[in-house]
Amino acid sequence: MNPQDMKPKRDPWYRSKTFKRFRRNPLAMVGSLLLLGFILVAFLAPAITAPQLANTPSARPCLRDLGIKRSEAVEVLRNPLNAVFWKAVLAPPKSCYNIPRASFSPLPKPPSKKHPMGLSGGSYDILYGLTWGTRTAFYVGFLVVGISLAIGIVIGGLSGFLGGATDNLIMRVTDVMLSFPRLVYVMIVVVIFGNGLTQVMLALALVGWAGYSRFFRGDILRTKAQDFVDAARALGASPLRVFLKHVFPNAIGTLLILASMDVGAIVLTAAGLSFLGLGAPVGYADWGQMISFARGYILGTAQGTPFDFWYVWIYPTLMLVLFGLAWNLLGDAVRDALDPKS
Amino acid sequence: MTTFIVRRLLQLPIVLLAISLLIFGMMQFLTPEQRAAAFVKTEQQAQHLDQVIRQYNLDKGFWVQYGSWLKEVLHGNLGFSKQSHEPVLTTIAKRLPVSTELALYMFFPTLAFGIWMGTMAAIHRDKLIDHIVRLFAIAGWSLPTFVLAIWLLAVLYGYLHCCGIGRADDKYMVMFAQGTLKTYTGMITVDGLLNGRFDVFLSGLKHLVLPVITYTVVASAQIMRVLRSSMLDVLNSDYVRTARAKGLPERVVNLKHARRNAIIPVVTIAGLMIAFMLEGVFFIEIIFNIPGIGQWSIPSAQNLDFPAVIGVALLTGVSVSLANLAVDILYGMIDPRISFQ
Repeated sequence: MNPQDMKPKRDPWYRSKTFKRFRRNPLAMVGSLLLLGFILVAFLAPAITAPQLANTPSARPCLRDLGIKRSEAVEVLRNPLNAVFWKAVLAPPKSCYNIPRASFSPLPKPPSKKHPMGLSGGSYDILYGLTWGTRTAFYVGFLVVGISLAIGIVIGGLSGFLGGATDNLIMRVTDVMLSFPRLVYVMIVVVIFGNGLTQVMLALALVGWAGYSRFFRGDILRTKAQDFVDAARALGASPLRVFLKHVFPNAIGTLLILASMDVGAIVLTAAGLSFLGLGAPVGYADWGQMISFARGYILGTAQGTPFDFWYVWIYPTLMLVLFGLAWNLLGDAVRDALDPKS
Repeated sequence: MTTFIVRRLLQLPIVLLAISLLIFGMMQFLTPEQRAAAFVKTEQQAQHLDQVIRQYNLDKGFWVQYGSWLKEVLHGNLGFSKQSHEPVLTTIAKRLPVSTELALYMFFPTLAFGIWMGTMAAIHRDKLIDHIVRLFAIAGWSLPTFVLAIWLLAVLYGYLHCCGIGRADDKYMVMFAQGTLKTYTGMITVDGLLNGRFDVFLSGLKHLVLPVITYTVVASAQIMRVLRSSMLDVLNSDYVRTARAKGLPERVVNLKHARRNAIIPVVTIAGLMIAFMLEGVFFIEIIFNIPGIGQWSIPSAQNLDFPAVIGVALLTGVSVSLANLAVDILYGMIDPRISFQ
C-alpha cells in the first residue's frame, strides 16, 4: 500500500463542522455584512469623498499629489477605468489623510449639499474624516495585532518549548504586563518617544503580545500532552523537530483565529487614545480625532439646546460602535464555533 | 490564612521593586538633561542644569542612578510637574482621593449588577431573559467607555438635565474652597457626612450617577459573561442535582449551591478588571469634568511632562499590586478549599 493512501482524507476548511456552525449563526452573518460594508467604505474612500476633495480648497495638496485638477477630480476618482482611481484607492499620497477644512471657523456647521455630514469643530469635514478614518482604523488594527501576534508567538513558543525556569520567568513578566492598564503604558511611551500614531501603535503592540503568548503557551502544553507527539518522540524525532513539525502547527490555529478577532478591540482602544490626544496629529483622518473635535460641542452652545450640534458627535461615535459591534459579533460566533459546549 | 497574608505582603515590595526597575529602565531612553528637568522648579535652576545632573547622579552608571532615583522616590521626591506647577507628589495627594472615590463608587455597582445579570441569564437559559441579558452584554462590550460617556452626557445631562457633571453643586465646591466646609478626606460624599451636611452628601452622589451608569453598562458585561458560563457548568453538576433531589427550594439551590461555586472565575476577572477600571476612570474624569488623576495626567502625557507620567505609573503599580493582593485574599474567603501553602 502506498504511504499516501494511508493518510486520512481531510475535508477542506469550508466543509468542516466548525465552519458550518459559524455559517449557520445569524449574528455572524450580520457581523460579516457590517464588516464588508466597512471594507467597502475604506476601499472606496477616494471615490466617496471626491466632491469634498474637489470643492474644499484645503484639500489641494492631495489632488496635487494625485496629479489631477479640481475640475476633473470627481470624474476621475469615480471612474475605475482611470489609472488615478487605482492610485488613489491603493496607494494614496499621505496628504490625502489630512481632513480638509472648509474654513477656519471653530463652530460646526450642519449637513449641507457640499458637506453631507456637516462640519465638525474647527470646520473639519465629517464625512471625509470618517471615510478616510476607516482606512486608518484597519491599518492600525491589523498592524498592531500583527506585530503583537508575532511577538506573542515567538515568546509564547519559547515559553512552551523550553519550559522550566524560562517558562516561569516569562509567565511572571506577562502577569505584570497584563495587570497594568494599557493607557499608562501608552502614556509612558508617548512621554519618552514623543506623541504620534507610530508611537501609540508601538506601545499597543508592545503590550498586546502578553495575552497571546499566554494563550499560545497553554495550547502548546495541551498539544504536547497528546499521543501523536509521544509517538513522534518514540520514533526518535529530535525535540526541535517534534516541536516545529508536530506541536507548533497543531497549536497555532486557534490563536490565529482568536487574535484576528481582536482587531476591533484594538481599533476602539486606539480611537479612545486619539480622543484623549494621544496619537495622530490634529487633522489626521481618524475616528478618535473626529470625536475629539466634537468635544466642545456635545452640550450645544447655549442652555437648553443640547442637540444643536448633534452631527458632530453622533456620526463618529456611531461609526466606531458599529465597527466594534461587527467584530464582536464575528468574534462571539467564532468562539462559539470553536467551542461547541458553550 | 494569616501566614499566607503575611507572606503575600512580604512579596509586595519585590513586585514594586520590579515595577520601579521597569519604569526606570524605560526612562533611560531620555537624555540626562531631560531627566534633570524633572527636578527643576525655577528658571535659575534651569540655568545650572549640570549641577542638577551631578546632584542626582544622572551621569553615572545605571545602578548608581537607579539607587539615587529610588532614594528620591522613597523620600517622596517624584519631581516637579510642569502641568500642575507643583511637585508631583503634592498633585497626586490632592487628586488621588477624587479618583479613589470615583473608582469605589464605580466598582461595586458594576460587580453587583454583573453578578445579578449572570445569575438570571444562567437560571433562565435560552429564555427571553437570557437573550435580553446577552444582547445587553454584547452591546455593553462593543461600547467604548468614552463613547457611552459622551452619549449619556448629551442625552441625560444635556437634554434631560438629570444628575450633574463635576463633583458637586458649585455652591458646595465654593464652600469647600473657602473653608466653610472642612476637607477631611478629599472625597466629597465622605466629607459631606463628616461635616454633618447630608445635602452635600446627596449632591456628591447625584454627580456620581452618570459615571457609575457609564461604567456599569460597559464593564458589567464581562462579569456577566464569565458568571453565566461558569454557572451553567455548575448547574449541570451532580451536587446541584442532589440538592434539588433532596427537595431544597429552587432559590437556595441556585444561590447557595450553584452561585457560590460559580463565582470564583468572577473573582479572577474582577482582579483583572482593576486595570481596566483605571482606564475607565481616566476617560470618565475627562468627559465628566472631574478633577482626578486622569484629568491631570493625560494632558501631562500630551505635553511630555514626564515626571507626572512616571509618578502616575508608579502610583498605578502600587494600586494594581494592592488590588491583586486583595483578590488573592478574597479567593481564600470565598473558596476555603484553595490552600495557601
